[in-house]
Amino acid sequence: MLKINNLHANINGKEILRGINLEIKAGEVHAIMGPNGSGKSTLASVIAGKEEFEVSEGTVELNGEDLSDFAPEVRAHKGVFLSFQYPIEIPGVTVTNFIKTAINETRKAKGMGELPAKEMLQMIREKADLLEIDRKFLSRSLNEGFSGGEKKRNEIFQMAMLEPQLAILDETDSGLDIDALKVVANGVNKLKSEKNAVLLITHYQRLLDYIVPDFVHVLYNGKIVKSGGKELAYELEEKGYDWLK
Amino acid sequence: MGKFTEDDLKKELETKEYEYGFYTDIESDKFPIGLNEDVVIAISKKKNEPAWMTEWRLDAFRIWKEMTEPEWANVRYEKPSFQDISYYSAPIQKPKLNSLDEVDPELLKTFEKLGISIGEQKRLSNVAMDIVIDSVSVATTFKKTLNERGIIFCPISEAIQEHPELVKKYLGSIVPKTDNFYAALNSAVFSDGSFCYIPKGVTCPMELSTYFRINEGGTGQFERTLLIADEGSYVSYLEGCTAPARDENQLHAAVVELIALDDAEIKYSTVQNWFPGDKEGKGGVYNFVTKRGLCEKNAKISWTQVETGSAITWKYPSCILKGDNSVGEFYSIAVTNNFQQADTGTKMIHLGNNTKSTIISKGISAGHSHNSYRGLVQISPRANNARNFSQCDSLLMGDKCGAHTFPYIEVKNKSAQIEHEATTSKIGEDQLFYCNQRGINTEKAIALIVNGFGKEVLNKLPMEFAVEAQKLLEISLEGSVG
Amino acid sequence: MELKEKLVSSFLAFENKGNIDLDSTVHAIRLNAIHNFETAGFPTKKDEEWKYTSLNPLLKNDYSLFPNAEKSVGFKNVEAYLINDIESYTLIFVDGVFNSFLSETTHEDCDVCVLSSALARPKYKMVVDNYLNKIANKNNSLAELNTAFVKEGAFINIPKNTIVSKPIQIINFSTGSEKEVLLQPRNLVVVGENSHVQIIERHQNLSKNTTLTNSVTEIFVHKRAIVDYYKIQNDTNESSLIDSTFISQKQQSVATVNTFSFGGKITRNNLEFYHEGENITSNLNGISILNEKQHVDNHTLVDHKSPNCESHELYKGIYADKSVGVFNGKVIVRQAAQKTNAFQQNNSILIDDGATINSKPQLEIFADDVKCSHGCTIGQLDESALFYMQSRGIPVKEAKALLLYAFGNDVVEKIKIPQLKSLISKLIAKKLNVQLGFEL
Repeated sequence: MLKINNLHANINGKEILRGINLEIKAGEVHAIMGPNGSGKSTLASVIAGKEEFEVSEGTVELNGEDLSDFAPEVRAHKGVFLSFQYPIEIPGVTVTNFIKTAINETRKAKGMGELPAKEMLQMIREKADLLEIDRKFLSRSLNEGFSGGEKKRNEIFQMAMLEPQLAILDETDSGLDIDALKVVANGVNKLKSEKNAVLLITHYQRLLDYIVPDFVHVLYNGKIVKSGGKELAYELEEKGYDWLK
Repeated sequence: MGKFTEDDLKKELETKEYEYGFYTDIESDKFPIGLNEDVVIAISKKKNEPAWMTEWRLDAFRIWKEMTEPEWANVRYEKPSFQDISYYSAPIQKPKLNSLDEVDPELLKTFEKLGISIGEQKRLSNVAMDIVIDSVSVATTFKKTLNERGIIFCPISEAIQEHPELVKKYLGSIVPKTDNFYAALNSAVFSDGSFCYIPKGVTCPMELSTYFRINEGGTGQFERTLLIADEGSYVSYLEGCTAPARDENQLHAAVVELIALDDAEIKYSTVQNWFPGDKEGKGGVYNFVTKRGLCEKNAKISWTQVETGSAITWKYPSCILKGDNSVGEFYSIAVTNNFQQADTGTKMIHLGNNTKSTIISKGISAGHSHNSYRGLVQISPRANNARNFSQCDSLLMGDKCGAHTFPYIEVKNKSAQIEHEATTSKIGEDQLFYCNQRGINTEKAIALIVNGFGKEVLNKLPMEFAVEAQKLLEISLEGSVG
Repeated sequence: MELKEKLVSSFLAFENKGNIDLDSTVHAIRLNAIHNFETAGFPTKKDEEWKYTSLNPLLKNDYSLFPNAEKSVGFKNVEAYLINDIESYTLIFVDGVFNSFLSETTHEDCDVCVLSSALARPKYKMVVDNYLNKIANKNNSLAELNTAFVKEGAFINIPKNTIVSKPIQIINFSTGSEKEVLLQPRNLVVVGENSHVQIIERHQNLSKNTTLTNSVTEIFVHKRAIVDYYKIQNDTNESSLIDSTFISQKQQSVATVNTFSFGGKITRNNLEFYHEGENITSNLNGISILNEKQHVDNHTLVDHKSPNCESHELYKGIYADKSVGVFNGKVIVRQAAQKTNAFQQNNSILIDDGATINSKPQLEIFADDVKCSHGCTIGQLDESALFYMQSRGIPVKEAKALLLYAFGNDVVEKIKIPQLKSLISKLIAKKLNVQLGFEL
């Protein structure tokens, strides 16, 4: 589904990704781990199409289609979802209104009509329940005054609504207490299917206890230096990253 | 990458036409240009006005002649030449309309283009409408339903004939002829407008609405609205404005007077979308409006305005909180784009005890425009326990525009509690990327963020208007800078 | 004769008396200024900038413009108004004339002396030519009036890389040798790159006669320099002050002006900051505590012209009896001044009916990527705090005074000279009738 070939990216001339190769097939869960500054979040942003990063070499393909020329919203329409490490506040725009706009814009891009209000509401309720989200929460301004846990839960709620092919979860575990982590992980697990894939980006092994990856990759200094099964995560937890340098 | 850049947006904005800029081809009866006592008398005659009204107008004209145009507002423009304007223009049609079916079909088409097809309005929402084109009221709907409750809702020209005692008592009582240059001018030459009276204890069962449109070229529009809510009554009143695109400037100088007697409540909402001029700043309406309301005991007046149009806006809907426990509110969104200039805000004059006022002003500036908030909160020495909360937020889009705040706070009573806050912000790159990532394109994202920014004000509008206002915001900012 | 005519007609006599060199810079500056003043005249309430302050009560007096008899003033007479427990340079002027006996000047590491001698000596010609009257606002007719009669005041010239070891006190005394006197001190402060100076300015009337002071200070703050300026305004009820202070800042400099207004009849402060470089910080703090019929008008301007600069403004006011407070804070952020951070706050408390506050916090923004905010509150003391204190046995009067004292405290906390801080604390306590049982 996702194929990354020799990806190089820089910000203001400073190279951060130095030749990443990665393939993710439908139905798989991959985890990317690595120390701070290794380029994990940059990789997530580059896949999503953030413009401040310049891709100097290599490609990112989704289902055989090169994404390079697509704006972030077009990538989203094609099924890329990024759960932000730091979700953005938009004052005055409610969670419901935001997700409604996102869904209808995506449908419009696919040549479909707007989702009827009744179905939309039904779906919102269903997914909110899945993530144990209080109804009142849905009429609050997007991410404004949300606690860390609420923000992350809201990200996964949006993921549930948008049903992406590829979900990239950037440090979704950070700032979550154990109960919130379980809820979020549970949500992700329920959304997992043979048709979609998940890319977890994390610093710690903690999240991987709840969302079990098929593959673990270690990112160091802009390159994947080691790949393995889920046992690699335990090894990293035990030994740290230093032995890989 | 397929990035939708600021430049693209700007380009798109420039090609954006004013959606309401059509001209209705209706024959009209128009005065030659110029203003003198004879013209004032002629206007009065045309309306078959009683002698006292003619005298009232002449008095206003004499006052106006001695006045000079105010210059303190933060707007720059070429002053209109008051002798180059025609002071009366009326669509020619049957003298009296009994139902909508008798309205000129051209006119009905106009309404449809405005998105306010009368029929639809009738069906969808419980809204009674008065429509003023150029200077004359052409259709008032729902008269019968209103009559049953004793509510008077009619063109002010009709009220002068049929309810002279009310007009005599209240006209000019809140905005005197001497108030300011434009109010004096309006008092001399106003040709029509709406009149509304809600009797004691009556809650008006539907929204009352007036749609104003300047159609004819080279004319000025001077409408006059007088709204009286008698003791314990309630009314919600809506006002919408549009004008066709023309390359000369058109003058609009209206006066609105509201009277809320003891325990009455008036909610007055405006969606103003006069032609703002083209992308070069050519043409557009000069909108010089005096709006003021008086609150008696326990009364409440709430002004809500969404201002997206006009080349120049000069407008301060105000409340005189005379009665104890009276409440004044002002909720405003003002959008300026291209070369528009707006100097708008409110005055809250606290005279009674325990009076309360709230001001929420949201200014959005884009292009080369200038958007100023100017407000006065005045607590008189006798107004014990007065409260005011003001919030003025500005959103800037691009670095060619300006946002200005000029709040005046004057307090002469120690028990007053005043809180004023102002902020400026821009639409963040990170906000746009977040929206993009969820599949929302930049343009839509801007609309979403702007609507969020103005939400506290939009929420105050009656439903039917809120939708239209949101659409207007989108249109007037479409393609603005990200 | 009207005061304006009197001033204009005295101009020639004033210049002649000084044996002025007709080719000098200062002559040209004065001539231009008197012309501007004559054209503009005194401001009236019709001027937007003077909407809330009328000068009329001050303009009726028959001021002596050049008090000649210097009353003998000894250290004993003025001691109370000096901060004595610190080492400092002092510049003391009595009825507009420099008193060398009471003053301590220097020319060692820097020049702390008087403007009249700087104007007269060729050594300072460059400084005078480069700086004098360069940033005084030409639209301010009172500053122009001061410029027309520019002659005496403090001259502080700090070369680069100099940390002035002790604060500088500038004190203008009037002795009441004339029934009504107009003083027009003029200060010029130039602070070189990387230098640091602290200045305290005060005006004091020693008699019951009338004094009007029309003071102008120009301060030039060069790259990375730091200036802390304190204004103590605690004059008698017969004294009025119009102070115009203009500050020009170069990149990375930090300038702070703290204004403490407790006394005087009418006090008008015009404080204007102009940014000429990036990464500049400007701080404006003020506290006014007024009673009787006192009137204090603080007019501030911060003109952000370059990117990445900051300004922080905090003015507090406590108004009793029939006193009037005015705050007009203008912040301009020009198109080039992206990434500006500008904050402004004005908090006031009215103690009595009859007291008035007029506040006009004004923002004019022309750049989009900026953080600007202003806030303004007017209110009373927190009732629950009062009750809490009463419940612990503090009588209501003392409780109120303590709360008011606390209200002004965050401004006092910004004072960096400990002795000055304790002086201001004492002045506030005295004004509020608070018994300070502890050293602050």
